[in-house]
Amino acid sequence: MTTNTVVSVSDLEKTYGKPNERQYTALKGLNFSVAAGEFVGIMGASGSGKTTLLNMLSTLDTPTKGNVVVNGHDVTQMRGNQLADFRAQEVGFIFQDFNLLESLTAEENIGLPLALKGTPSKVMDQAIHEVADTLSIADLLQKYPAELSGGQKQRVAAARAIVHHPAILMGDEPTGALDSTSARELLDLLTTINAQQQMSVLLVTHDPFSASFCQRILFIKDGQIGSELRRGDLDRREFYQQVLNELGTFNE
Amino acid sequence: MLGKLALAGIKNRRRDYLVLLAGLTMSAAIFYMFANLATNRAFLNANAVVSSASVIFGFGAVLLILITVVYIMYANSFLLSMRQHDYGLFMMLGATRKRVGELVFLETLILGTIATAIGVVLGLLLSKFLVGFLLNALGLHLKHLTAFYLPAIVATVVLYVGLFILASLFNLVRLTRTTVLKLLHSDELANQPKVNPVWQLIQGVLGIGLLALGYWAMAAINDLQMAAIPLALVTITIGTYLLFRATILTIIRALRHTSWAKKRLNGFLLGQLNFRVHNYTRMLTIVSLLFAMALGAITVGSGYHRQLPLMAQRTGTYSVAVHDPNAHEQKLLDRLDSAYTATYTQKRQGKTVYYNAAELKRQPVEQRAYTKTGTAKHVSRQSFKAFQKSGIKDLDFLSLALTKAGSPYAPKILSAAQFKQQAGQTITVTTVRVKNLAQDLGTLKRLNQLEMARFSHPAEMTVGNYQSYTLMLGMFGGLEFIGYFLGIAFLAMLASCLMFKILSGAPGDQRRYRMLYKVGVRYHLMRHGIAKEIGILFLIPGIMGIIDVLFGLQMFKPLMPAPMSPYQGIGLTFLIFVGLYAIYYLITLALYWRIVLPKTTDA
Ligand SMILES: Nc1ncnc2c1ncn2[C@@H]1O[C@H](COP(=O)(O)OP(=O)(O)O)[C@@H](O)[C@H]1O
Ligand SMILES: [Mg+2]
Repeated sequence: MTTNTVVSVSDLEKTYGKPNERQYTALKGLNFSVAAGEFVGIMGASGSGKTTLLNMLSTLDTPTKGNVVVNGHDVTQMRGNQLADFRAQEVGFIFQDFNLLESLTAEENIGLPLALKGTPSKVMDQAIHEVADTLSIADLLQKYPAELSGGQKQRVAAARAIVHHPAILMGDEPTGALDSTSARELLDLLTTINAQQQMSVLLVTHDPFSASFCQRILFIKDGQIGSELRRGDLDRREFYQQVLNELGTFNE
Repeated sequence: MLGKLALAGIKNRRRDYLVLLAGLTMSAAIFYMFANLATNRAFLNANAVVSSASVIFGFGAVLLILITVVYIMYANSFLLSMRQHDYGLFMMLGATRKRVGELVFLETLILGTIATAIGVVLGLLLSKFLVGFLLNALGLHLKHLTAFYLPAIVATVVLYVGLFILASLFNLVRLTRTTVLKLLHSDELANQPKVNPVWQLIQGVLGIGLLALGYWAMAAINDLQMAAIPLALVTITIGTYLLFRATILTIIRALRHTSWAKKRLNGFLLGQLNFRVHNYTRMLTIVSLLFAMALGAITVGSGYHRQLPLMAQRTGTYSVAVHDPNAHEQKLLDRLDSAYTATYTQKRQGKTVYYNAAELKRQPVEQRAYTKTGTAKHVSRQSFKAFQKSGIKDLDFLSLALTKAGSPYAPKILSAAQFKQQAGQTITVTTVRVKNLAQDLGTLKRLNQLEMARFSHPAEMTVGNYQSYTLMLGMFGGLEFIGYFLGIAFLAMLASCLMFKILSGAPGDQRRYRMLYKVGVRYHLMRHGIAKEIGILFLIPGIMGIIDVLFGLQMFKPLMPAPMSPYQGIGLTFLIFVGLYAIYYLITLALYWRIVLPKTTDA
């Protein structure tokens, strides 16, 4: 493993269900890696195992077999508090359903990862305001999630995901619950964050439009990486067309 | 079709329904048990020697009804919160409001009727066993106490079914007035009350004022008579509520702006409390009242239980006198923890009982001194000379030889030689003064029974202070029983009230803690967070309840005449009660941890 690899997955296998029950193998020996600063998309039909894969990477679930190394940590070897701390420090996560705590203001939601680390409140305030400026949500900080639109909520969630400068930002269909304008705004923001902060981004989606914002796309089929597409020097529209073409052949 | 859907919805949440049903059943059962006592005229007339006892019962009933109303409202809002999402969905799918309204009405009513029916049956059984057990444990015998009492059943059914009809109507109106969207998203709505400092201050001052008025009313029960209890009840309830509203919200808001709030999960804890503060103030008020009533009732009950023997012990000298003890009685006598034992030989002839001077010199008869106001002082032993003059006329000494009619023989003291010559029926009598009446009650009871069976004293004749004790028990035992009984009843109510809070909050919290888990919060942090939140819910009403009781015991001064006092020895009672409360907290906490904390295996 070289130092500029952020995620490295080898032989990853996941089987749901106990041995004596009905079992289902969602991932069957997956291999891939993400370099530092890369913006990678993972595409696949519904039920192809995208969420399963992301859960393995973010330690929300444990693999049946194989290795996952994130930013130098062997995720499969971690236990208890190590897992919690890993999630709190190494990864930023954006969920389809926002995952914002409705009893906290936007500001408090964003500050949560820093509070967990025991960051001094001055430093915390500064970090929150910096990230809020980047995502243009400075005027929303005092509001509660119930007072925000879907797009605003997702931007707050993105702010929370990056406020502590994780090694990698992961999103599981973060645009899934957004209208097309909000979705586009969020994707532009992710692109900006990726470019400005050199933060690696791993975006899971089934939507070709979202995927076209990535530099590289991995296609999952039947629990394995079926094919891979690189954007190279193409602009987003051209890449979008290419993704559509690929899906056409991929799904046959 | 809609009925089927509704049924499926209920099936999905059968655990919640079971708890709801269990809570309501418990409440109906407790009410039945109480009504069984309160409406039973024969029982009251036979046992309530103190006239105010029946007044207490009357107000006890009113109080219990009030609590029941609040309780059912609380349970009903829990039911509604469980169901409104489903109902919103039905309406969105095109069901008419009228049809959904019918469903709501029926569902509430059916649930209520089932709870009432099971509750009455449970109440019957509990009356039979718990009341019996309690009487046994307290060494009480109360006449005319039966488990099955028709008027009590009627009262319970009328009250509960009536309340549930009201609750159904309330739900009907509530659901048909709210918009579908609100129903669907009821659990996500932001509830952020605005804080106006002036209004907060007014609330706080008003709350303290009302509390003071309530505390004063309880102390002034002699002047206010009947008016004191309802006055105290209303003012303390409203006062507590206002005080909580004024302070809790202000404290939370103030804490939220400190840097303490930005450490770990503190901010989350404050957010949670702030989010539910309206729910919480209501809950905390109810719980603090129930806590106060449970603790107060048990304190009074145990006050009688502890102080009656103490008081009895200060009447007369010896605890028990046994004539011609047989082998069995002698064994029992030996078992007593005696402070002073004496045995005298009597010779009875005509209307005179003769004593041996030698025996009286060897084992002087004890006397008890009294102050001018009649308060008992310590016991002492007179010189033989003094005894011949005064001690010989003491009722305690005279009572050692009673005729069948109950009048005493005239005592005469003879020298040892003369006594030997004296003719007459020879009887020995052994008097024992025990160190601690409460500890030897069991043995004394046995001895007294045997003595009564062998020599037919008139039953109401007091011989020894064990007999005084039984006499007092007849007077105050009813109150002691009511105290314990109500205490247990209120404690059970309190438990199920807190249970509802837990269950109605759990689904939302499950989601929230799942989010925290995903964000990478350590397990022990989440555990601590929950322990703090639930701890606050237990602590605040506990403190408030103890304050209420300390003032409220004033009310029992007329019922516990000196030398008894409602405050004597309350420390231990409080300690035991707080211990029980702490255990209940730990159980609740463990339960909540299990329900709310995410399992590591599923994502
Ligand atoms: N907890 C689970 N238990 C059993 N099977 C599961 C579980 N989670 C997901 N699956 C199955 O694994 C497959 C992949 O699911 P998922 O990763 O959620 O797909 P995607 O996110 O690509 O739509 C699906 O067939 C799904 O039914
Ligand atoms: Mg998915």
